[in-house]
Amino acid sequence: MESLVTNLLNGLSWGMLLFLISVGLTTVFGVLGILNFAHGSFFMLGAYLCMQVMHVVPSFWLGILIGPLAVALLGIVIEKFLLRRVYDRDVSFQLLLTFAILLVLDDAVRIIWGAGYHVVDAPKILAGTIPLFSHSYPVYRIFLIIIGPLIGIALWSFFHFTRWGRIIRAAAVDREMAEGIGIRVPLLFTAVFAFGSWLAALGGALAAPHQSVAPSMGESIIIESFIVVVIGGMGSFPGAFVGALLLGLLESFGTVFAGRAQMALPYILLALVLLIRPRGFFGREA
Amino acid sequence: MKNHSGRPKTVIFFIFLIGFLIGCPFFLPTYWTFIFGEILIMALFAMSFNLLLGYSGLLSFGQAGFFGVGAYVVALLILKGWQSLTLIMLAGTISAALAAAVIGYLCVRRDEIYFAMITLGFGMMLFTIAHNWIELTGGSDGLPLAVIPALKLPGFELSLFDPRIMYLFILFVVLAGIFFLWRLVRSPFGLILTAARENKERLAFVGADVRLVRLTAFTIAGGLAGLSGALFCLFNSMATPGFMHWSYSARPILMTILGGSGVFLGPAFGAVVFFLLEQVITNVTDNWMIFLGAILIPVVIFFPQGILGTLVKHFDR
Amino acid sequence: MTDVPILKIEHLGHSYGKFQVIDDISLAIPPGELTALIGPNGAGKTTFYNVVSGRFPPRRGKVFFAGREITGKPAHKIVSLGLLRSFQITNIFPELSVRENVLIPLLLQQRRGYTFLRPLKKEKDLYRKADDVLSKIGILDAADQPAGELAYGDKRLVEMAIVLARRPKLVLLDEPTAGMNPEETERMIRLIKELAERFGTTFFLTEHDMKVVFSIAKRIFVLYQGGLLATGTPEEIRANPQVREAYLGGGTIQC
Repeated sequence: MESLVTNLLNGLSWGMLLFLISVGLTTVFGVLGILNFAHGSFFMLGAYLCMQVMHVVPSFWLGILIGPLAVALLGIVIEKFLLRRVYDRDVSFQLLLTFAILLVLDDAVRIIWGAGYHVVDAPKILAGTIPLFSHSYPVYRIFLIIIGPLIGIALWSFFHFTRWGRIIRAAAVDREMAEGIGIRVPLLFTAVFAFGSWLAALGGALAAPHQSVAPSMGESIIIESFIVVVIGGMGSFPGAFVGALLLGLLESFGTVFAGRAQMALPYILLALVLLIRPRGFFGREA
Repeated sequence: MKNHSGRPKTVIFFIFLIGFLIGCPFFLPTYWTFIFGEILIMALFAMSFNLLLGYSGLLSFGQAGFFGVGAYVVALLILKGWQSLTLIMLAGTISAALAAAVIGYLCVRRDEIYFAMITLGFGMMLFTIAHNWIELTGGSDGLPLAVIPALKLPGFELSLFDPRIMYLFILFVVLAGIFFLWRLVRSPFGLILTAARENKERLAFVGADVRLVRLTAFTIAGGLAGLSGALFCLFNSMATPGFMHWSYSARPILMTILGGSGVFLGPAFGAVVFFLLEQVITNVTDNWMIFLGAILIPVVIFFPQGILGTLVKHFDR
Repeated sequence: MTDVPILKIEHLGHSYGKFQVIDDISLAIPPGELTALIGPNGAGKTTFYNVVSGRFPPRRGKVFFAGREITGKPAHKIVSLGLLRSFQITNIFPELSVRENVLIPLLLQQRRGYTFLRPLKKEKDLYRKADDVLSKIGILDAADQPAGELAYGDKRLVEMAIVLARRPKLVLLDEPTAGMNPEETERMIRLIKELAERFGTTFFLTEHDMKVVFSIAKRIFVLYQGGLLATGTPEEIRANPQVREAYLGGGTIQC
């Protein structure tokens, strides 16, 4: 019973992190039409920068504040000076560009911080464990489970109830129309991309106490978030949520009944969705 | 894609090039034989990739998976004691093609962006299997080979132990593969592929099952990637999971973009450039992905046709 | 002469979300009859064509082509049965030569699309057929040019050539003379009439240029707000008060 609950909580906490990453990826795609291969690198940078801040000032909260903001700034620079030049080009070139950015960022991390892994401690309030049945369970993961939906609700409310949120959604659906009614689309695109990068980095900073901070973080998360958005449906907010939780739980319970084959489970899920419902659970018609 | 083969200058150039390639192990130090051998294998790998990008308009991030399938099947069969090199190579190629057919069936259901994501995903799935299924694949250590069966030709046997013979074998197989691709792109199917890249909707509305067209291209590309992998396994006397990682998938992509996806031999040219860059950069630093990425960025933005592509355009004016 | 209609539509309906684009359309077209579909903008003409040609399946209703049901079948299967369409916005292969544009449907029709070890140039009989089509349409001199470099009107002709290469039984023409000057329009009208007569191809066209409609069509269907408002010969339609109302708010239909 307790392993069931443990696995459930593990799956949920991991799912929430996946959700944060994926929702940024899917939003950037929905509005700019660009799939950012370097999104996982932003996640990783968020973790590393948070860690770096904590080396200077041992405050996790400060790390979580500054790290993602720095990455958002990087996102602005990347969007303005690189991405903007390929908006009107073939999709393949857009993908190649973000892929090249991934190469640069991932290796940059390796150069700056070395190839080894680092440990980040959770802040005192969230450190430690609470008793759960006859075991103890990390408080930090519970924190993730709570904060995930909170951020999700905040985001969803932003997109559905605020003026800017609706403007972003309008621009996502019809760029020309949005420009026609006076929305400065280029500025909007920069803002959305920065926002997506910020979200990814926030996820990374939040993930830092949860797993070790290592240069391979970026590449493993990007594949998982790709799977999440494909099964959830590109551009779909609820899709990212459902897909992320599904994947998180699958991976968590997978270790129980599948052993080493657990690694193949996300791909099996991906294959099933592609066969049965190619556009994803919440995706629009292709 | 323009057809330059009619020009006599080009033909003579290629005759000289092939002559050089055949003769070089005999007048250059062995070191160069190794280098050219590796470049040739990578050139085939990159050209198989370009069947998808340049000719079908599909950007696949998972070709290393099929490369690896070819390598591993060859290694496994040799370790099992198979003796016929030809059969072993064939088995490697066909296994890779089969894997590509199965995975391709799932990938061609969606378009460009999804296609890129899904191919990355399944490519990494193959890597994960190779990395974790220790009993079969040796895990992260891979499968080293102590001996390689000799090539049995009518009348005599050729041992591939001699690097020059190995090189010539590689040259032969690679040239055969490139020739196959050449015939393919100039065949009716080649035209249909190009049409699928240019206007897949129109193609459907003149009667083509676009998914099947793409699946066929994907299968062929996967098979050829597997053939390159098979060669690489023989060349290195081992198969390792590193061959299947997405960072390895990045190689044919970079080679093709550097050389130019719009020219038939662009990727091969790109393989040479890539190799040179790799030698230069790794002499200076371990972190060469960052340099590759840094080079790729301006190439993608300013020279999307690649080096050869830009040159060709220049001379066509 | 068989009296199976070349195209039969039964209670066809399609909607995007809650918006009902076409509703309960039923019609039948006898083989060989030059037919037109007219209606004001937004009446649902393009959606109708999209559903019939297999771009996407309709939410309701059935489509029969030469007696066979084709509702919801994918576009390429419908094409191989003999139903082709042209597009309102020219939809050709711009970087391929004009001749190659036409070779493609021919290759597919002869099931030689997957031949991959023989050079394309060996398909001499298909080259001849392609040139044949090109000369009938009147663009043979441009055969080697990249199709994207042609003048607009010639591009439309390439579109026609692509559609007609396979000798379809039924062709849906989506605004064939859109953007053409009077001379090019005249040429297109003559071409359609000639082809209909020579090969018995049924043309079902939709147009905004009423002159084209009235000079070609023997039967006209009027689409209004997603439903079939009226059907009849050109004279009947011209005189129909409901049609006048729908189009011009009571004025006369100029032709």
